[in-house]
Amino acid sequence: MSTRQAARTGGNGLPQEAIVAALRQALGDAVGEARAVPVDEMWIPIAPEVLRDAVEELQRCGVRHLSTISGLDDDEGIVLLYHFWRGHGLTLSLRLPYEAASVPTLIDLIPGAAFYEREVAEMLGVTFGGHEDIKPLLLPEDWDAGPPLRHDDADALPPSREDG
Amino acid sequence: MTVVKEAISALVAILVFPGLAFMVISALAFEWLDRVMIARLQGRVGPPWYQPVADLIKLLAKEDILPTGANEAVAAVLPVISLASVLTAALYVPVAGYGVTSFEGDLIVVLFLLSLPALAYFLAGWVSVGVYSMVGGSRSLLQYFSYEVPFLMALATPAIVADSWRIEIIVTRQPTWGVFTMPLGFALAVVGLIGKLKRDPFDIPKASSEVVAGPLTEYSGRKLALWHLTVDVQTVVGILLLVNLFLGGHTSTFVPVAAWISPWLFAGKALLILVLLAAASVLYARLRIDQLANLGWRVLAPLALAQIVVALWMVS
Amino acid sequence: MDRMTIPIGPQHPLLKEPMSFTVTVEGEQVLASTMRMGYVHRGIEKLAESRNYRQVVHLVERICGICSHVHTTTFCDAVETLLGLEVPPRAWYIRALLCELERIHSHLLWLGVLAKNVGYDTVFMYSWRDREIVLDMMEELSGGRVSHAVNIIGGVRVDLDVEQARSMLERLPLLEEKVDGALHLVETERTLRARTQGVGYLSPEQIRAYCVVGPVARASGVDVDMRRDAPCAPYDELGVDVQMHTAGDVWARAVVRVRETRESLRLCRLILENLPAGATEVRAPRRVPAGEAVTRWEAPRGEVLYYVRSDGSDTPSRLKVRTPTLTTLITLPDQLRGVALADVTVVLSGVDLCIACADR
Repeated sequence: MSTRQAARTGGNGLPQEAIVAALRQALGDAVGEARAVPVDEMWIPIAPEVLRDAVEELQRCGVRHLSTISGLDDDEGIVLLYHFWRGHGLTLSLRLPYEAASVPTLIDLIPGAAFYEREVAEMLGVTFGGHEDIKPLLLPEDWDAGPPLRHDDADALPPSREDG
Repeated sequence: MTVVKEAISALVAILVFPGLAFMVISALAFEWLDRVMIARLQGRVGPPWYQPVADLIKLLAKEDILPTGANEAVAAVLPVISLASVLTAALYVPVAGYGVTSFEGDLIVVLFLLSLPALAYFLAGWVSVGVYSMVGGSRSLLQYFSYEVPFLMALATPAIVADSWRIEIIVTRQPTWGVFTMPLGFALAVVGLIGKLKRDPFDIPKASSEVVAGPLTEYSGRKLALWHLTVDVQTVVGILLLVNLFLGGHTSTFVPVAAWISPWLFAGKALLILVLLAAASVLYARLRIDQLANLGWRVLAPLALAQIVVALWMVS
Repeated sequence: MDRMTIPIGPQHPLLKEPMSFTVTVEGEQVLASTMRMGYVHRGIEKLAESRNYRQVVHLVERICGICSHVHTTTFCDAVETLLGLEVPPRAWYIRALLCELERIHSHLLWLGVLAKNVGYDTVFMYSWRDREIVLDMMEELSGGRVSHAVNIIGGVRVDLDVEQARSMLERLPLLEEKVDGALHLVETERTLRARTQGVGYLSPEQIRAYCVVGPVARASGVDVDMRRDAPCAPYDELGVDVQMHTAGDVWARAVVRVRETRESLRLCRLILENLPAGATEVRAPRRVPAGEAVTRWEAPRGEVLYYVRSDGSDTPSRLKVRTPTLTTLITLPDQLRGVALADVTVVLSGVDLCIACADR
């Protein structure tokens, strides 16, 4: 752990371990092994089916601020990361297969998730069940080249110049 | 022979001084002074003296188009009517004692002619068929009803006190300038003038951050040049009207002055009112239309009514 | 009067960047609104996957014009964490100095834009003139008025000598005087208050539900500030006095931002007076070990989040940026419902849109 991380003394939330314990108690085996991620983050893998229950449990613990939903394609599937914050960072990570990239929506629990879900949907082709009328956020309406951040898209970008 | 002489002098009065040429040149000069004053108050430098002329020439050279569906004929006539009405109003407003003509009741005619551009402005928005134009046009009508009544009442006060509706007479019958005997009326007249000229803080119909340019959004070229000239001439006529009615025109009060000073005195007073207008532009944020309507009907109109009552009492 | 649909954008005098709003009005009252973004979407996250880390620093600087330094700082923080680098304290102080200068710059610019949009050109001229002092200071520090390119992975590439620090300190009192004047104006001037009070109200519950950050959240009484909540050097030593308000309307946001400007001036003074000696950078290897890092920082508009994932090469395998403007954009339909058409301007100005940030 770098000195930077040690210098992070602030924060006003429940200790992250306590939240992990609460989640494990509520959801049992659907919660995987938590690990610390710099800077000041705790990452908790969960099964996609228990996403909404996990978020409800987090809200009961007082963790309500969703910073964003990151999505990425790690060549084995789509990984979704729900970054929460309360004094310290807390991220729920879940893995989706390419063919069935679908999770339930969170917008009724956290209205602020709407834009993040729209962006993940258009960039990675994930469907959010229950999020009606999910329109493109950033891409134009006539975009026809497939989700840009998936690694299987055929059009590769030109290589960058080697003078970095 | 005298008929020819009279005809020539009338033509000179109408076309040169204090008519068309003088009015247009003063309009451009006043626009420049206004812009420089506002600029200096805002910490800027302001444009060079020939800027209004350059703007006018530039506009005259631009393409003159309107959106599809706009009524071209009406749109072309409206700025001409506006400019014509303010120039005609200028005929009756004496400049340093020289008016082109005058008759009993000419104050009312002037006020009527100065109101025509407001209606033409609204119509201009209506016929040019654009969302911003229509919104700006409806705002301009609402604004018209908010400032016009206090303005008219305030301008009626000097007429009541002088017992005449002829501007020339009102000027000469003021032993003490109206601004000292009817300060409330003067203040209301200035506020009303700001509304009439659609200057900040009453430039609601053409608020650029809300309706782009209001009723004139779609106008360009020659039509827009005429509209700009109308506003400039209206500014001059409005200021000169106020100078005549409230500041004694070319006469002086308290201290007698030599005759050759009168024109300069007149010019000084006109500049004073221009300074007031510029300062008002600089000092306040733009009001919302409902806030203006509130102000007009709840504050200005009752005050104007009170001023009229006071004037009637002063006369009796 | 019939209903009319008024387009605001993508080109409109009110908007400084292209974004499309349409408001449906009846008379002067707004019934509904829609918005469309993406006009300046440049695909920064996708581009980052094909550039090495040094190039990505330059890339993320261009996400936004006004908060460019914050983006590079947050990104460098993430990469330095992955590399396990110990960035010298002097570099952190210089980074924070520029962050605070940028905050002052951004808020003064915003004040001018708000004033212009409510027809108060005088305040626009004055605040942008005062902003020139800040731009001069940033230019002396970094060589660029708005785009600084100060951060490199491992520290900063510029340094302040004693003369420069003293010259900056000398200009701070003038700025403080101007900002105090601006605060007095915002708090007391009647026409400005008449236009901005009661407009665009957001309750604390709405703020928390939409996960709003930044001055908009603080103006509604929700206490979030990454400089205090997730502090790193030098904020943990300097201490940040977070400015709050409870009115929750555009006026409250204006007050909060001007007070924050004053607070940032105080922080600049502290930084300049207490610059630690030492190096300004450490050498950074090209290849970043595999791993992930999430960093947060307080941009002028709120919490900015960077997620960097490395696969062991010299190119990031995923860069995710979440900018604060996204959180305020999502509140706009709520804020615009039922307001007068003239208030649309005020609402849009009040959220301090940085659309380039939101679109990336």
